[in-house]
Amino acid sequence: MSSTTDTAVLRAEHVQLGYWTPDGFTLAVQDATFSVAPREKAIVIGPSGCGKSTLLKAVAGFIRPTAGRIHVSGREKLEPGPDRAVVFQEFDQLFPWRSVLDNVAYPLRINGWKRRDAVERAREFIELTSLGRSADRYPHQLSGGMKQRVAIARALALDPAMLLMDEPFGSLDMITRARLQQELNGIIERTQTTLLLVTHSMDEALTVGDNVIVLAGSPSVVTEIVDVRDVGPPDLPRYAETRLHLRDLLGVTHEEDETHVVDH
Amino acid sequence: MSSITETASALPARPRAAGWARLPLWLRRVILLAAIVGLWQAYVAWSEFGGNPLLFASPADTATAFWDGWRDGSLARATWETMRLLLIGVGIGAAIAALFTLFASLSQIGEDILLLLTAILNPLPGVAVLPLALLWFGLSSKAIIFAIANATIWPIAINLTTGFKTVNPTIVAAGRNIGLKGVRLVTDVLAPAALPNAISGLKTAWAFGWRTVVAAELVFGVVGGEGGLGTYINNAKLYLFTSKMFAALLSIAILGVAFELLFGVLERRTIVRWGMQRS
Repeated sequence: MSSTTDTAVLRAEHVQLGYWTPDGFTLAVQDATFSVAPREKAIVIGPSGCGKSTLLKAVAGFIRPTAGRIHVSGREKLEPGPDRAVVFQEFDQLFPWRSVLDNVAYPLRINGWKRRDAVERAREFIELTSLGRSADRYPHQLSGGMKQRVAIARALALDPAMLLMDEPFGSLDMITRARLQQELNGIIERTQTTLLLVTHSMDEALTVGDNVIVLAGSPSVVTEIVDVRDVGPPDLPRYAETRLHLRDLLGVTHEEDETHVVDH
Repeated sequence: MSSITETASALPARPRAAGWARLPLWLRRVILLAAIVGLWQAYVAWSEFGGNPLLFASPADTATAFWDGWRDGSLARATWETMRLLLIGVGIGAAIAALFTLFASLSQIGEDILLLLTAILNPLPGVAVLPLALLWFGLSSKAIIFAIANATIWPIAINLTTGFKTVNPTIVAAGRNIGLKGVRLVTDVLAPAALPNAISGLKTAWAFGWRTVVAAELVFGVVGGEGGLGTYINNAKLYLFTSKMFAALLSIAILGVAFELLFGVLERRTIVRWGMQRS
């Protein structure tokens, strides 16, 4: 066992996951083994239905693996909790009856913060996510991208051991998505949060991630963990090569690959 | 706040409606109300039945009886007595419904019990339990309060349970993720998320309560005593004070409109403001 796995924030060992349908039990993930080091940005990528969201839900504590083990900061038997703050894909993850500021401050208050401190910290994270002018608005008055910013602010303000993101930009238009990916990089840079992000977008994986955990097959297994730290921006050959490699791992054909690597 | 105004001013002008729809709402209502009073007056003036003051009161007689009743306090006392019973009854009913729903949201057996009780008791008209209530509580306001509470528990419980069941699962997951569980999850996430259903349940319960309390008082009215609007109507009938009966009905109608407006304010301040329901 190497020293990186010893200090890992998250360790998944031969995790097996499935869910019940009216027809019986369906195995989604056959075997997932990987670890995430402190301050690492880990991406789980896989095609739709490979069980990557299920895997994230298991780390978040919403479901239990049918076999294998998940350790977070050395703990097993995970219940949902603010140490693994989740940003969901759905825009309606915010509390509609609370203002933007209150959506960020309220989780702090129930986790033992005094009201004044909670509000102060909430303001800090609202500024960090460029929401300062919308602090008093209600979620229904925000665009999808702004709602996801609030969700990110809410999660990071809790100072989690890990930030879990389940296709957080999947419902956004391409331009907003690209902008939020860049911003996320900047924010994580400042907060030094360990990240586990689930996506089906190779470009998101390459833009945001340090390591990309490829989940493929049905039921799926971790086929490879690709280091994408030094791929550079999309116009460098290294980026294109790595992307091609990911595409092969995922079994995506050229025709299915809609977003092309270099547009110009 | 300024940015919201900006967004609003950036919207294109609302398309102009023509004719009747162009008038402001309050004016449309006033005109319609005047038309109704006009038809009423016409009926009194030109029909034999309507012209008989023992059978039918004119708008003017009704207004006089209404004014006199409120000035000498008889109508005010009756209205207050009815309101008092209604508030207590609906209050007890809502509290029991909330407890039931809390219990039902925390356990499967709780939900089963609630669904079964609702299926059995909700179809009963509110006044149907009154004879039993009289047997148990005697000729007292307790019997009426019991009947009101029974009429209000079930619509509130049904609406709340539906509301709880249809709460968006993502928001519940978000609540659990930030560390909420058990009763706290119910009070802080499920309850506000189910508020649109809670308010509509309360509106239904209030309407059921009204019908029950007035009907129950009509039964009590026969034996007299310090009564509410139902008693007032019944007494007026005994002495053929037709205009007083009309005045009491007018009071009920005005209160109904007033509470409708009050619920409207409540909705605008909560679920409409939060985008959980369109205005």
